[in-house]
Amino acid sequence: MIDPLVASSRIAGSGMGAQSERMRVIAENIANAQSTGQTAGSDPYIRKTITFRTALDRASGTAAVAVRQIGEDKAPFKVEYDPGNPAADQNGNVKLPNVNMLIEMADMREANRSYEANLQMIKQTRSMVSSIIELLRS
Amino acid sequence: MNPIFLFNLASRQLHHLTARQAVIAGNVANANTPGYQARDLTPFRDVLNKTALSMAATHAGHLGIDGPSARPARAAASDGWDVVHSGNSVNLEEQLMKAGEVSRDQALNSGIVKSFNRMLAMSVKSGQ
Repeated sequence: MIDPLVASSRIAGSGMGAQSERMRVIAENIANAQSTGQTAGSDPYIRKTITFRTALDRASGTAAVAVRQIGEDKAPFKVEYDPGNPAADQNGNVKLPNVNMLIEMADMREANRSYEANLQMIKQTRSMVSSIIELLRS
Repeated sequence: MNPIFLFNLASRQLHHLTARQAVIAGNVANANTPGYQARDLTPFRDVLNKTALSMAATHAGHLGIDGPSARPARAAASDGWDVVHSGNSVNLEEQLMKAGEVSRDQALNSGIVKSFNRMLAMSVKSGQ
């Protein structure tokens, strides 16, 4: 069994890793918010989603976190009339990605908030460790 | 002179606090995991009350009973402040509040140990 303080920094680290992975997915979605298909009438960029799962560590009985999967959003595409676009079909309609900027922004805020909470746990654990080491110094 | 239990007690509480910190870190890390239920340890006071202290043998005829000296604290699902639609019951504010509690108790604990240690050292020094 590993020391609980070491375990808690490791768990918080796994949380930070998961949240930064989420941040990467959000960045991909925002960057590709206008990416249409290559050929006429083809599908555009599909919004990606991310889900987490609990990674239970049997040795210490603690619950870290890991990415379960990066999936695709099933929401319908936006359709815009733009006959000049190379991705337009014979009616002149272009399919645009199903990325909603407001949702991405809200998601980004939430990821940021969770990341900061994990960071706070690491800071606090470190201060606990250093105060215990301080006992030896007196 | 009575044996001094304080260091033993303090180290046990410290162990409880560090285990609780690990559980809270797990909750915070799983703040966005669907279906995850927030967990918490039983409070140290309850653990201490359930601890079966072994009786001291003061006579050669006394039989020693080796009971379980300290039951390890178990993490169980706790009632969170709220449950979101995905079935997750972790509230970040609640968890950070608990982490603050742990850190405060730990500061108190190490302060007591430090001052007690200083008292012992002082009495040892003046006895020379």
